[in-house]
Amino acid sequence: MSEEAVMTHLRLDPDNVGEQDAESLLEAIKGDVRYEEVIHGCLNCGVCSGSCPSHRFFDYSPRIVVQTVLSGDAQAVKDMMDEYIWACAQCYTCAMRCPFHNSPGGLVMIMREVAVWRGMEAVHRLLKPYGRVLLKVLSIGNQLTPDMIQPDFFPDWGPKIPWSSTDLAIKRKAIPVYTLQVTTSAWRVSPQTSYELYTIYEETGVFRLIEQIDPNLYEVVSDMVEDLRDTIESSR
Amino acid sequence: MATSPISDKVRTSGWEFITKTVDKRAIMKAAPKDPREELAELEAKGEVKVIHITEENRPIEVETLLGRTKRIPTNKLWHHKSCGQCGNIPGYPTSIMWFMNKLGLEFLDETHQTSCTAWNYHGSGTSNLVALASVAVRNWHRAYETGYFPLIHCGTSFGNYKEMRNLLIEHKDLRDEVRRIMAKVGRELVIPEEIVHYSEWLHVLRHQIAALKIHDLSSIITTVHPACHVWKLVPEDVIYDPNIYGGQRPAPTTAILLALGAQVADYSTWYDCCGFGFRHILTEREFSRSFSLERKIKVMVEEANSDVAITQDTGCTTTLDKNQWIGKAHGYNYELPVMADVQFAALAAGADPYKVVQIQWHTSGWEKLLDKMGVDWRTSKAEYEAYLEELKAGREPEQLYVPPVENLNLH
Repeated sequence: MSEEAVMTHLRLDPDNVGEQDAESLLEAIKGDVRYEEVIHGCLNCGVCSGSCPSHRFFDYSPRIVVQTVLSGDAQAVKDMMDEYIWACAQCYTCAMRCPFHNSPGGLVMIMREVAVWRGMEAVHRLLKPYGRVLLKVLSIGNQLTPDMIQPDFFPDWGPKIPWSSTDLAIKRKAIPVYTLQVTTSAWRVSPQTSYELYTIYEETGVFRLIEQIDPNLYEVVSDMVEDLRDTIESSR
Repeated sequence: MATSPISDKVRTSGWEFITKTVDKRAIMKAAPKDPREELAELEAKGEVKVIHITEENRPIEVETLLGRTKRIPTNKLWHHKSCGQCGNIPGYPTSIMWFMNKLGLEFLDETHQTSCTAWNYHGSGTSNLVALASVAVRNWHRAYETGYFPLIHCGTSFGNYKEMRNLLIEHKDLRDEVRRIMAKVGRELVIPEEIVHYSEWLHVLRHQIAALKIHDLSSIITTVHPACHVWKLVPEDVIYDPNIYGGQRPAPTTAILLALGAQVADYSTWYDCCGFGFRHILTEREFSRSFSLERKIKVMVEEANSDVAITQDTGCTTTLDKNQWIGKAHGYNYELPVMADVQFAALAAGADPYKVVQIQWHTSGWEKLLDKMGVDWRTSKAEYEAYLEELKAGREPEQLYVPPVENLNLH
């Protein structure tokens, strides 16, 4: 398979951020290697929506997502990618129950990926509150770390949260497992591990994507990557 | 409000339809191929290396949804930790390691692991299939080169790794891409014989663990929240047992609670998610709060009179635990303790509630539950507070486990 075919089939080209023609977006969704596994047909029975958590609280229905994609109405699919599909809670109850073995949650995931890799407008707004997670996941591969649990960010979690962030270093030291006695990562991550992770992000276009859709975050991450690479390579 | 006999009948038939017909109908009638057979074929052709479960791993056999046999290794395990657990619920991994020490089992917990990155993927879409598969294979290969078998702590990692295994087996071009990337980091494409979640490990050892119990749990009413990414992603790989809800629901977690002698109460929304939502817990908080309260906590308390909600995954523990306090603003005055099955089992077996189970990080009141279980948390709290002062004064911390030096590579 050619490099270009692999790119379309398995992952999108980060240099195509901005290519938002509706037909091209639908083509990218249907071209994903997983598409054939998540959609097999649709009876329009609504069992998926009947058990969907997000359907209870948002204007969102997995049945409508599947029906719209199957209808081939590219503009309607594009409109849906802008906001609608981001209500999905990714619980896969729909997939567990669909008599056709569809996975509407899996379809939504492909659509989200296409929306992000094509830099759709809503993505910038949707990802904004996500910056802290992205910084951690890109720099050390963790998605949540002890120092992220701060009362300012989680005032609705109640009066015990300030305890979790006070004297954090000592409280983490009191966890009787050596790898966990840290505050800025979930566990001690060896520099070699981050080094390998950066190669994965580079080779799969993830760093290039971040550079395109969030240049400020990319600047911070690329400084960290450079520093770590210098450290590792000079120690060899 | 009392319901009429007619609506009861309708509700019952609807309930049976959901639990006995819809959930299992599709998959039972058109069983997917067993990926492990295809993996063995690929291995025979020299296409992939397989991390095998050996006698040293002391596997125990169980049955999955389709009646297939799954071997769960119990010894010589490589901890694939969860960032959400380690970062926010530290008593989760420590309880697992505490039991492994108690049972004299060999394990490796070290610094060469990344998260699966799937939480971020589900929440933000800022990754792709090749990156997810490469992260998975990098972690698997690290376990492989140490000679330990990977034990996955997080439910999302478990679900994601089952998906990645299946996709890698099905698609040669994905294997080729991942192999190319692994060569750049000095690693190879390896795939484990089984993807194993810690709750499965706990399940197969439940009788040995129950034998360590020192507290009577017969008056404790538990409710179980089965984690979506554990049992709804690649559902055919999940353990079912005819003795647990007639084989209609996943067996892990419920089975260990029964083995421990606790009561397990049913509730009508058992199959619902917790409200975590991946991005919702951070960016659509109203949804997480409302869903966890309305569809889980309220039902567990009002229908089942639950003393404690027992979980088997990371995000669910956090979502159900942290979102109760804010409910007071709307008159929801529930205070249902939330903890993982392994933490509950550790408390029952006499683990220190502060130093080992790290219960102090949980926000919904757990004190009444521990009193009902007969756990002396007050002494534990006093000792913990004194211990914190000693640590501040420079004392070296106590350790359940320290990785061998060669596995640190901290530079």
